[in-house]
Amino acid sequence: MTLSIPTIVTIIVLGLIGIGIYALLTTRHLIKVIVALQLLVKGAMLALVLAGYLTGQQDLGQSLAITVIIADTIVAVIGMALAVQVRRVIGTLDLRSLTSLRR
Amino acid sequence: MAETLILLTIGLPWLGALLTWAAGDQHPRLQHTLAVAFSLAAGMAALLLIPFGKDQILVTFPVGGAFGDFTFSPDGLGVFLAAIATVIGSLAVIFSVDYMRGEAQLGRYYAFVLFFIGAMVGLVLTTNLLLMFVFWEITALTSYALISFHNDDPKAVAGGIKALIITQFGGLGLLIGALVLFSNTGSYDILTFINNPAVLPAGALAWMAFGCLAAAAAKSAQFPFQTWLPDAMEAPTPISALIHAATMVNAGVYLLARFFPAFEGVPGWREAVMAVGMLSALLAAIMAMVATDLKRVLAYSTVSQLGYMVFAIGAGGVFASQFHLLSHSVFKALLFLGAGAVIHAVGTRDMREMGGLGQKMPFVRLVFVIGALALAGLPILNGFWSKELILEAGLEHGNPLWMLIIMLVVSGLTAFYTFRMVWLVFYGQPRSEVHAHDAGTAMKVALAPLALGTLTTWLLAGSFARLLSESLPAHEIAAHPTAEILLEVVTAPVTWVALLVIGLGLLAWWQRERLMGISKALTGLKNLALNSFGFEAINRGVVLGMQNSAEKLRDTQTGMLNWNVAYLLIALILVLAVLALGVG
Repeated sequence: MTLSIPTIVTIIVLGLIGIGIYALLTTRHLIKVIVALQLLVKGAMLALVLAGYLTGQQDLGQSLAITVIIADTIVAVIGMALAVQVRRVIGTLDLRSLTSLRR
Repeated sequence: MAETLILLTIGLPWLGALLTWAAGDQHPRLQHTLAVAFSLAAGMAALLLIPFGKDQILVTFPVGGAFGDFTFSPDGLGVFLAAIATVIGSLAVIFSVDYMRGEAQLGRYYAFVLFFIGAMVGLVLTTNLLLMFVFWEITALTSYALISFHNDDPKAVAGGIKALIITQFGGLGLLIGALVLFSNTGSYDILTFINNPAVLPAGALAWMAFGCLAAAAAKSAQFPFQTWLPDAMEAPTPISALIHAATMVNAGVYLLARFFPAFEGVPGWREAVMAVGMLSALLAAIMAMVATDLKRVLAYSTVSQLGYMVFAIGAGGVFASQFHLLSHSVFKALLFLGAGAVIHAVGTRDMREMGGLGQKMPFVRLVFVIGALALAGLPILNGFWSKELILEAGLEHGNPLWMLIIMLVVSGLTAFYTFRMVWLVFYGQPRSEVHAHDAGTAMKVALAPLALGTLTTWLLAGSFARLLSESLPAHEIAAHPTAEILLEVVTAPVTWVALLVIGLGLLAWWQRERLMGISKALTGLKNLALNSFGFEAINRGVVLGMQNSAEKLRDTQTGMLNWNVAYLLIALILVLAVLALGVG
């Protein structure tokens, strides 16, 4: 059985998003959260390109994907910077210790 | 040209807000200067906009399909309120230069004041109901932020939250109105709706009419929402003058006036509006007679005078209500700023600790008495003419006579509490050791134009009527020249009855010692009035209930990322399920 390219890409998209969400639901480590977020966004980006391909608007899908790459890089960088600060100030990267805003 | 001016009138205060805030609190002089400059510039732009009022221009800013175009129309009703907001706004800012000198966090103060002025202009100029709702909520938010400006004072914080929660009920009414309009016509455009209200079925029109009435009552502190305004007096006094006397509280009256042609046919709507206005005017006047806090007396008198305007709209006198709005904005801003000068000099708001201040503050006494005479409705100040026009409107269109009689009684009560207030503050013997000094220069600069306005704005009656009648065809306002309007007032019997009642009110204050017996007999009523006739308890209950339920919702906030992601996922699945079911 041979799979068509869109089907393969769809499977990859669903896989990436699934892994990302699963990790976000289970992990308590800040760095891992950032990694999970990256996986999630990469899945979404691939979905954009796929949607552009399927509707015949490749250029639109690709330019949106590039926009996502830029935004996503900023998110990753700021997330990492925050993680470093959290480690410095609180001394741990465990998410459970980050609930200090709650009374 | 009109397009640029509209942009300037809204944009200049907002730009000023950003700059004043960015200037930083370590440069208070720069902050004062920036705030004054930008508010004055906005005032100039608004005044230049007035001549465009009669041209029926529609300025459109397309913003895509989702919310309809952002449309602004500088018609008579809008430009006149925009001018009030910016001109009195700039006077309040000038007054603040003296009043707020040496306060910390001036950036926050001026930024919110300027943000408010811009939003108020947007609110009255826009013809997109959704956009109007947005501006409406911005004014509520800035009002809250400024009431609670002294955020280390628990009373100020409580007053701000109360105002915010109660005016939100009104905001909901306006939102319902906007959504009803949109779901039935597919557009948020106010003008087409007013010119042809039949686009809505009768049921939807009634929903919208009473939704707007609730919105107006909450915003203008009318019955049964009146209790937030006295508590809002914790705000710095220029804020009370600007937001809680001259501009924001007028937004409710403006809303009713704007939609009057569309709603007047709704069964029971006019009667409901009149009843709301009458009850507010009466209850607030009684409460003002017993209050001892200077600013609270002024707040109650604001509720009472707004009651007159709301009553006038219900009675069919849109011009009378808007003319009284103009008079009231000027003389009430004058009274509040005068009171601010007194409070700034004396350091207390309790009238029992004042007395005999007139000799120490001759200038403030002069302008305050001018404002007070206008509030009492004595000729020939602006409050006299506009109040008499309202009473005359109460006689027309077959309105019930007993309501008019109550409004006449209220004008007597107004005279009574006004003279009580002036006497307690400026005359008699000093009742405590206070070092009072007359107002500073910036205060005088702000007070003098307002006093001049109180003496003269009634001369504008004719041109104001022409402006409204030319730009608001649906409202059917008759354009008479000034002389004709004034003659009509002077020759109307109701004017003389009103003057008689006002005279009786003055006489009652003059002979108050002989009337001690009556006042003893009314002790029960007095206690009732001191407790706001029980509405205080109801409103406090609503506010507390709201805060408690918000506190309960805290349990859903675990602060854990995993749970938040789970909630997101569940919500997404729910939305997808609804969409799948809805489509299938």
